[in-house]
Amino acid sequence: MARRITILLLAVLLIAALTTLPFFLKAFHIRVGLSIFLSAGFAVCWWLLAGFTAYYSFGHTAFVGIGAFAAALALRAVPEAAPALQLAWSLGAGLVVAGGIAAIIAWPILRLRGHYFTIAMLAVALVLGEAVAAFPVFGGSTGLALPNLAPMGVRVEAFFYWIALALLAIVMAVAWVISRSRLGYGLAAIREDEDAAQMLGVPTTRFKVVAFVLSGGLIGLIGAVYALNLGYITSDSVFRGSLSLEMIVNSLVGGMGSILGPVIGAAVMTGVTKLVLADLLEYHLAITGVLIVAVVLVAPDGLVGLWRRRRAQSAGR
Amino acid sequence: MTALVQTLVNGLLYGGILSIAAVGFSLIFGVMSVINLTHGIFVIGGAYGALVAWSVLGIDPLLSIPPLMLVAFALGWACQRLVIQPAVERGNPVAALLVTFGFALIAVNLLTVTFSSSVRSISPSYSFINLRLGDISIDLVRLVAFGCGLALIAILGSFLRFSRWGRVIRATALSELGARLCGVDARAVYAMTFAVASAFAAASGVLIGMMLPFTPADEVTWTVYAFIVVTLGGVGSLGGAMLGGLLLGLVSTLTQTYLGAVYTNMVMFLILLFTLLVRPNGILGSAFKASR
Amino acid sequence: MTTTDLLSVQGLAAGYGGALAVRGLDFAVAPGTIAVLVGANGAGKTTTVQVIAGAIRPSGGTIRFDGETVTGLDCPAMVDRGITLVPEGRLIFARMTVEENLLMGALNRRAAANLARNLDRVFALFPRLAQRRGQLGGSMSGGEQQMLAIARGLMAEPRLMILDEPSLGLAPKVVAETFGLIRQLNAEGITILLVEQNVRQSLQLADRAFVIEKGRVVLSGAGPTLLDDPFVKTAFLGL
Repeated sequence: MARRITILLLAVLLIAALTTLPFFLKAFHIRVGLSIFLSAGFAVCWWLLAGFTAYYSFGHTAFVGIGAFAAALALRAVPEAAPALQLAWSLGAGLVVAGGIAAIIAWPILRLRGHYFTIAMLAVALVLGEAVAAFPVFGGSTGLALPNLAPMGVRVEAFFYWIALALLAIVMAVAWVISRSRLGYGLAAIREDEDAAQMLGVPTTRFKVVAFVLSGGLIGLIGAVYALNLGYITSDSVFRGSLSLEMIVNSLVGGMGSILGPVIGAAVMTGVTKLVLADLLEYHLAITGVLIVAVVLVAPDGLVGLWRRRRAQSAGR
Repeated sequence: MTALVQTLVNGLLYGGILSIAAVGFSLIFGVMSVINLTHGIFVIGGAYGALVAWSVLGIDPLLSIPPLMLVAFALGWACQRLVIQPAVERGNPVAALLVTFGFALIAVNLLTVTFSSSVRSISPSYSFINLRLGDISIDLVRLVAFGCGLALIAILGSFLRFSRWGRVIRATALSELGARLCGVDARAVYAMTFAVASAFAAASGVLIGMMLPFTPADEVTWTVYAFIVVTLGGVGSLGGAMLGGLLLGLVSTLTQTYLGAVYTNMVMFLILLFTLLVRPNGILGSAFKASR
Repeated sequence: MTTTDLLSVQGLAAGYGGALAVRGLDFAVAPGTIAVLVGANGAGKTTTVQVIAGAIRPSGGTIRFDGETVTGLDCPAMVDRGITLVPEGRLIFARMTVEENLLMGALNRRAAANLARNLDRVFALFPRLAQRRGQLGGSMSGGEQQMLAIARGLMAEPRLMILDEPSLGLAPKVVAETFGLIRQLNAEGITILLVEQNVRQSLQLADRAFVIEKGRVVLSGAGPTLLDDPFVKTAFLGL
């Protein structure tokens, strides 16, 4: 019990520290923090499905795109409303539309397992990306612009930094609650052996659909913020295969074993990319590639796994 | 009517290229159950290899195919032994996938630094010649590439069907433990499979380089097309890759002509999705695994 | 254990992941004999024979074959030395022809050199396979697939043939044929190590039998003698 209170206290302190950080940082560093929170949020949502059930989606950028375009189109309907209302309205649109579409495709697509599910999600993302690029409602190849919703007197990057931080805290809390619930245990049973779980009476289909819809909807929510921060979106910028891959890479680099994995992975990968490699732009992809290969071969359970192993070793000595 | 026939001819010629460009991916997926994201790198690498041979050494692209296949074979072997096999042995289902992704990032970066990201093309002396057959015109380069593609598929098919290595590869794909108990060194088989697949990917890249302009970033496209062809036709079988490639070529050309170019990819991806939902093992099923 | 044993296993430990399926297992097989391992499901029999065949790396103990220590060698090395495992579930190559399946059995140098002779011998032993040499392995009946698996094993010219549950899922008549075949192969000079759940029939066959429980040998003796053992009677024969 004392341990749990310590952890809670630490979390509150950490969030408080992160919240005050923008007052001391340069705009560039605030933007780095913002990128970390966004990619950590995406990774946690992807992990919500993959980490619990071992259903590895290769197309979660679909939900980023849906959330982004839902937010952009929703804002067109209320051009005169107060910025705070517009913000809530567009984030709500991202959450509901992405969650809704996830619910529609969940049943057929979750019948597929293993590689087939992985590829099918890739196909979903590709189809949606091409459709958005093809139909004029979505601005075609020119895309859509979003208004600046930051209140007067607040720096834009700090504003989105705080929103992204809050959303990250929310999705982590959701993942944590699930991991302690009946749903979480059921999903873990699906990961170990889906057929056995079904025979033991776990409502596998319902649980998988719930995890999928939560994962997709929450990504849509963060996707809306992603779009608002960009200020201008096209099919290529939000239905990006590399966004899907980043969620996977960040989760695996950090470690699939715990909720901290995706967050640490996102912090390390985004931090390294934005801070260390900023001067090595030409070789940025290659160095990222080397990092990925190295982590898979050296730390197959991710950085969290590596740390746990080290600690177990030193405790055993 | 003529327009339709012309579209169908173009579609078949394009489909033949899609087929040969997918066989390597299909082989690795079928034998090792690894989704190989370096596939497109070997394809585009073949195109750049042919570009260098043609523009620097003056070698006809078709003649550069055998030496480039040898180089790709060696690179594929090394890549599998040094990096991918260790990842496969980690036991994590996505470890191998991630490693191939990391490798593709490194390779595409090196290609971009070496050749820049601008669009390149190879046009040997016989480019831009059109054969006429009544009202139908056929691009000579495409016809040549199509013929070479079929010949390469036939060679790979004979290798798998009749050679000792081919037999061992098929057996390992059907039952790894069964093959090992016969005295097969499974790691050597996987390295061989990866090397052969890489060689044929590079060969297809030469043919693609003769027909279409290319950039380093195109590697993603060819990996995804290989995905679709294999999913459509069925994993691990050359017949499946042929069927999937030809179908996809026809669909793509027909969509382009009658619906508009913006819808081409969308229709192709929709077909991929639909196939997965209705018949996940492809039209011909998996060549190696029992049908479900 | 005597130095004349063809195969001797001492203190063998092995398993998947953290759990050991086999711990401290000892037994030996004299040349030219039939040895049988019996035991309940999960006793560690399949793990034991897969270790001997080189498919699983042991985590402890020693394996000696024909006077040489072979602990931890891989499958190709074991096959080269004359150890062949006909695995549980047969693991024939379903989408390859009968003949291709047989050729897969003849990969080691010795067997490859005598390929034509061995093929004739196997076809003489199994006329059914000769008739169906062009047919896909997976399209045959269970009994025929078991024959194919044994024939494939014979193609490697084994000195020690290990058969893991060869009677599993076969009709009683085919089971009897299979046991007859094992006796015949043994008469031709191949040492046999048989893993069976069909305890009564296999013990009648055994020169020496070992009862395995929880990864250890708990009882051993001549096969027919063990049939009268009270423990065997209650545990396996339902008497």
